[in-house]
Amino acid sequence: MTRVLSYGHPLPGLREKKLPGKLIVVEGTDGVGRSTQIALLREWLEANGYASVETGFTRSELAASGLKKAKRGHTMGDLTMNLFYATDFVDRLEKQIIPALRAGFVVLTDRYLYSLIARAQVRGVDPQWIRDVLGFALIPDVVFYLKIDLERLIPRVVNSRGFDYWESGMDFLKGDDIYENYARYQTALLNQFEAMAQEYHFHVVDANRSVPEVFADLRDAIQTIVDDMQGHAASGDMKPKKKKKNKAKARVDGTEEVI
Amino acid sequence: MATLHDGAPLRGKLFIVEGIDGSGKSTQLDLLHKWLVSRGYLVAFTEWNSSPVVKQTTKKGKDKRLLSSTSFSLIHAADLADRIEHQILPALRAGAIVLADRYIYTAFARDVARGVDREWVRKIYHFAVRPTVAFYFRVPLDESLQRILVGRPELKYYEAGLDVGLAEDAYESFRLFQGRILDEYEHIVDEFGLTVIDATGPLVQQQARVRKLIQAHLRGAQKVEHRPWREVLAKEGLHGRYLDAMTAPAGEDGR
Repeated sequence: MTRVLSYGHPLPGLREKKLPGKLIVVEGTDGVGRSTQIALLREWLEANGYASVETGFTRSELAASGLKKAKRGHTMGDLTMNLFYATDFVDRLEKQIIPALRAGFVVLTDRYLYSLIARAQVRGVDPQWIRDVLGFALIPDVVFYLKIDLERLIPRVVNSRGFDYWESGMDFLKGDDIYENYARYQTALLNQFEAMAQEYHFHVVDANRSVPEVFADLRDAIQTIVDDMQGHAASGDMKPKKKKKNKAKARVDGTEEVI
Repeated sequence: MATLHDGAPLRGKLFIVEGIDGSGKSTQLDLLHKWLVSRGYLVAFTEWNSSPVVKQTTKKGKDKRLLSSTSFSLIHAADLADRIEHQILPALRAGAIVLADRYIYTAFARDVARGVDREWVRKIYHFAVRPTVAFYFRVPLDESLQRILVGRPELKYYEAGLDVGLAEDAYESFRLFQGRILDEYEHIVDEFGLTVIDATGPLVQQQARVRKLIQAHLRGAQKVEHRPWREVLAKEGLHGRYLDAMTAPAGEDGR
């Protein structure tokens, strides 16, 4: 990141004004293909000499297991869930993201505070409160918003994991028709993302298209961001190779998170 | 009465106690609890850092020293949020008296002593129910330290404030950390109008003052019949042998 800026009150103890790494956020709703794109981007960055790491929700050492357990039991209220996610988020920010940025890595993050804000607002949580709570978040170098239509999204979700309890808003929507609730909930979420696109300067990417097409857009946009890192990157062939096999490495932790 | 954060009134009453470690607040709350139960009130008790959903994560964070000042603050906020959503608010809606051992002011004092922003921590607790009466047990630092440290107990890492880096020695760190917390509390007393109890006086006098102060707020609080079977026992000449076994774990009423 060129400059270290937060949306609200900065983290206590973060003294630097600049960090050499880059923070790249991939946002979008459940099933839009964020993790596939991140896996591809990570390998592409590494192949071109940029050290990179990835992080995503419920992958903190501190809060991941407790949060997953609480979600399994379907026992959390809105406020508790937001604060639990905020705990997970700040732990990863302080222990994973900032140290990596300090070391000059490109950090790819699967979702960021925008998903937490969208999810909270749909559930009727005070919009200003959730922004205050998460105000410590660093402003990323770029936020890619993978935008998809509901009609395109549904077949993908059915084809992969099926409808998730929380991703269908079953914790607060009436009725027990998960398909109906999924459609209602995702529509509400997509509207929230749409409203945030301007507020947070999202780089909107049309995710109704194929994986290679979306990847090409992301890759080209990231290229312009990492270009000024040449001095920091390792020596060797720094020219991007556009003709590379799009084969993603298996994720190390093998976890898949849906909220 | 207690009110929601937006000022909407609740039927129940929320009485909370605050103060540094060794101020004697828990002892006083316990005495108040027993008195209210004996007077027939419906009473629920809750304490800091006790949410069944969150506390294991807090414990893990403390044991493995994973917590920063910000994550420490957020996980405690999550704990209170869960207790408000699942214990405190439902009880207040039912007209109960809720007694809380430590509340948001503990976070305002302790988290700021750890280095988080004063305004930020107040914002994150914006959801909290406003208490009917908030007692602050004021005690000089030396006296509280003497009460706590008399047996040379082993101080835990975060308890001693060793994460703040004020001193290498746990006892010295605890002393400095508690001093900072005390300073924060003194600001909070004025800012939020806490009711100050002189915690250096005799315990009986402190309790008498606490009871006198809440007396005015008890009107309308829900009452409950305790041991409603007593009459049956007396009339039928029974001993309640099996009732004893059944009620033993719940003997503390609401704990």
